[in-house]
Amino acid sequence: MISAPTRFTSGADIETFAQKLRSEGGPAAKLVRVCIGTGCAAKGSRKLYELFCEAAEQSGQDVRVEAKCVGCHGFCERGPIVVVEPGEIFYQRVEEPDVAEIFRETVLGGRVVERLLYEDPGTGKKAEKADEIAFYKVQQRIVLGSNGLIDPTKITDYIAEGGYKALAKVLSSMTPDDVISEVEAAGLRGRGGGGFPTARKWRSCREAEGSPKYVICNGDEGDPGAFMDRSIMEGNPHSVIEGMLIGAYAIGSEQGYIYVRNEYPLAVEHLKMAISQAREFGLLGQNILGSSFSFDIRINRGGGAFVCGESTALMASLEGRPGEPRAKYVHTVESGLWEKPSNLNNVETWANVPAIINRGGEWFAGIGTEKSKGTKVFSLVGKVVNSGLVEVPMGITLRQIIDEIGGGIPDGKRFKAVQTGGPSGGCIPAEHLDARVDFDELTKLGSMMGSGGMIVMDEDTCMVRFAKYFTNFLQKESCGKCTPCREGLAQMLYILDRITDGEGQVGDVERLEGLAELMEGTALCALGKTAANPVISTIRYFRDEYDAHIKDKHCPAKECRGLFRYKIDADACKSCGICLQNCPAEAITGEKKVPYVIDQEKCTLCGTCWEKCPFAAVLKV
Amino acid sequence: MPTVTIDGCKVRVKKDATILDAAKKAGIWIPTLCYHPAVPSDASCRLCMVELDRGDWRQLVTSCNYPVRRDIVVYVSSERAEAARRGVMELLLARAPESGELKALAERMGVYETRYPNVTESQRNCILCGLCVRVCEQIIGKAAIGYAGRGVDRAVAAPFRQPSEDCIGCGACAAICPVGTIKIRIHADEQEVEISPFKSRAKLLVCEKCGALVASKQVSEQALTRSNLNSEEFRASLRLCPKCRRLQTAGQLGAATFYKK
Amino acid sequence: MAQDDKIIEQIVDRYDADVGMLIPMMQDLQSECGYLQAEHIRYLSKRLGLPLSRLYAVATFYSSFRLAPKGAHEVTLCMGTVCYLKGAGSISEAICKKFRVEPGGTTRDRLFSFQAVNCVGACALAPVMVVDGKYYDGVTPDSALEILHKLLPAEEAAETTTKEAQRD
Repeated sequence: MISAPTRFTSGADIETFAQKLRSEGGPAAKLVRVCIGTGCAAKGSRKLYELFCEAAEQSGQDVRVEAKCVGCHGFCERGPIVVVEPGEIFYQRVEEPDVAEIFRETVLGGRVVERLLYEDPGTGKKAEKADEIAFYKVQQRIVLGSNGLIDPTKITDYIAEGGYKALAKVLSSMTPDDVISEVEAAGLRGRGGGGFPTARKWRSCREAEGSPKYVICNGDEGDPGAFMDRSIMEGNPHSVIEGMLIGAYAIGSEQGYIYVRNEYPLAVEHLKMAISQAREFGLLGQNILGSSFSFDIRINRGGGAFVCGESTALMASLEGRPGEPRAKYVHTVESGLWEKPSNLNNVETWANVPAIINRGGEWFAGIGTEKSKGTKVFSLVGKVVNSGLVEVPMGITLRQIIDEIGGGIPDGKRFKAVQTGGPSGGCIPAEHLDARVDFDELTKLGSMMGSGGMIVMDEDTCMVRFAKYFTNFLQKESCGKCTPCREGLAQMLYILDRITDGEGQVGDVERLEGLAELMEGTALCALGKTAANPVISTIRYFRDEYDAHIKDKHCPAKECRGLFRYKIDADACKSCGICLQNCPAEAITGEKKVPYVIDQEKCTLCGTCWEKCPFAAVLKV
Repeated sequence: MPTVTIDGCKVRVKKDATILDAAKKAGIWIPTLCYHPAVPSDASCRLCMVELDRGDWRQLVTSCNYPVRRDIVVYVSSERAEAARRGVMELLLARAPESGELKALAERMGVYETRYPNVTESQRNCILCGLCVRVCEQIIGKAAIGYAGRGVDRAVAAPFRQPSEDCIGCGACAAICPVGTIKIRIHADEQEVEISPFKSRAKLLVCEKCGALVASKQVSEQALTRSNLNSEEFRASLRLCPKCRRLQTAGQLGAATFYKK
Repeated sequence: MAQDDKIIEQIVDRYDADVGMLIPMMQDLQSECGYLQAEHIRYLSKRLGLPLSRLYAVATFYSSFRLAPKGAHEVTLCMGTVCYLKGAGSISEAICKKFRVEPGGTTRDRLFSFQAVNCVGACALAPVMVVDGKYYDGVTPDSALEILHKLLPAEEAAETTTKEAQRD
């Protein structure tokens, strides 16, 4: 195993080194790959990795056995995930006691441990490999492809997989204009939410006057429910670095920044290691690969502010100021960080660049729809059987994502809506499940693709309360600089609070719509402009719920406390008396062998009986 | 020089002048709050909204900071622009119901009431226009006050909400405040000037002759260093209040005239 | 005080006194000293040549900064959309009620500081609570209270349990 760093002085050096690494790998090596992404780590996967390492050391086999830690596979619901090579046997929900068995049976014995394989909830069929699992079958993993295969803390893994080949190609045989043309042919659009054509942005920055020019990576993934960028930064940080190198070359920049939100400590750590190793190998710094191109990257951390995902706010933060957006009448590609031309792109956008250079813009444009090319990573979460990260070609339908990949709604509940685009997006109801997912289709339906968050809701979700959740979130995250966002959100929240408290007034929906129009037209930044989207889209598709809250003081989903009642199901009641004992209002009466009854006059709607009943005999009505 | 057609009126302006500059040239009034010619525009109040013609659609933009770089067509009195400005003013009136200056501006715009209840707390009607912060940082160069907090809790404050050591008591913040939030208070007995509500204080110069309070010591220091009037003679004249200074000068002039003959 | 000045100098050197790295500097300062103390902020502002009002604005704008001492333990509850859908709201209520603390604050006895954050990026594990860097997945109001109860020093914990048992 090569441990001493080799400083590359040309593209050919990388190829030679990569071949050397691959041949040292050896065909007979037995390898256990343990995911240490945040999701699996939270369930103790680091300890699993340690145990596998110990087992490997003590095994004393003549064939080399190794354990490797890898980045997020995306199937976080089923973590911790362990994959054994050869055979790519995919184990899920692995716990510490399982390590010995896996090692003995699979690693050494080549046998499968059935109970740890994924079992399809519908057919009961077990899958040995990942691509047999419905969750993975439909996916096309360009960006996430190496997650789960490479150790993100070792640059040698990335190189062995073909990493930095794109950079070598660019520096040896392409001009900056060639690079921009290739990205243009690919039709790559920003993956952070804006969907702006990447090549156009690069070209504008290249043509802008002024120096130095800056290249920035937006790793401030703030949409709650979205963790795509986290997985890329944690699991394959070099893909981002390589993308930035190529972009910087095209634009004419020598200094890059990666801005990572504070809440992702593992991403910061892995990026720091990756940058340090890239420098050692001469891939960052002066005269890279023997060319005249020099480039380096600094990491800056966020301080805890969703608004810093907005480009001008992010740049303010990079200048050591509060993250307040500013007017974009003069674009940031002309005047951005320190008032210099700056090109900002999202993590996933950068991660797509090496593949585009390696395989060609035409190949990329062959995937997806007419105006939305390539794949997109979505975080499919909420009330869905298989939750995690999925990477699919643009144009796939919502139904395919939620049913085929996601496995549908758990507990036999009915699908109600899916929220896309985070707090700037909207909800999409069942009638539009066959909509094709791309930048433009979702916008037509009143939502947006955003950064890729897909939150699935079932019949038990109150849409008014859900809209209120986002409004509350945005109010807390608003920077407070401009009147319409700061005051408008407060006014909207005031009305929504009234509605969910049972004090809604006729005209409240119209008031909300008026505020939404005002905010959309007059707010300073995209946060304020799109802040009313969750409310407006829920009004569009679930107006009946708003009306029920306002006119009937009733919450149809039975979530808003006080706007529904509790009733004991006479058939299910076993007269155990627990509800009576716990009722703080003494509103329940009953005796043995007779169904208990709630006195609606006395009932304070606290819900204690519903929580405590061991027979689920208390119903919400 | 690009041409701005504003409500049908054509005016030519320098490149990078703002729509507001063009409006002033055309004699068209657009209400503003956070704009002041002395400091760069933040466009945070959103009151000066106008519609910009984009061909097949119209974009609402703030006129105080939109740079004119080529010929454009702007609508100030369109229904949508007026509705936008009215909406913003109504939100401000809801936030700061007791500012006489704000109400007067609203009335000039034709807004006599607000449909919104008061749901946010403003410290003494502060509308967070930021003029005070900008003037203190960029013109006076002291940055004695700044923003604190975020969102609805955002406020203008001195650091740690303690009286600021950097404040020189010039009162520029009070002068530029458009809604009457910031006030200058003179404490004669302590010979200090206080900037309310920040509680920052500065010592005042006292007239050697009559004991009247003149100006903040630090302000006069600053004025001396920034201008070139730093001579001993000039410094000496500053130890008197304007009235005593005039009397002294008159006396000197009179004596000279009398004795010249 | 001189000791603290050294810490600040070290931090400033670590980032080459680059004003753009103010936020990481303040984060490091908070890590080392527990919270952002006024005197330290004043020193840092002088050292970097930045107005004090700027540092105060930054310290009060970003959620990760604390201007008051924190508790012995750090408790973070994720209030992201998925965690919210799976009941994080009632977990937060339960914690606030039981321990008499507000999100962003510290319990009276300084046992723990409680923060509600927007999404830690582990949505498949919702609802998520992080205590001193350790992640707990699928928490409920009851299990969350139990986990926090374990933070109490042993005798206090036993005492509280007895009291509650008596009350019930």
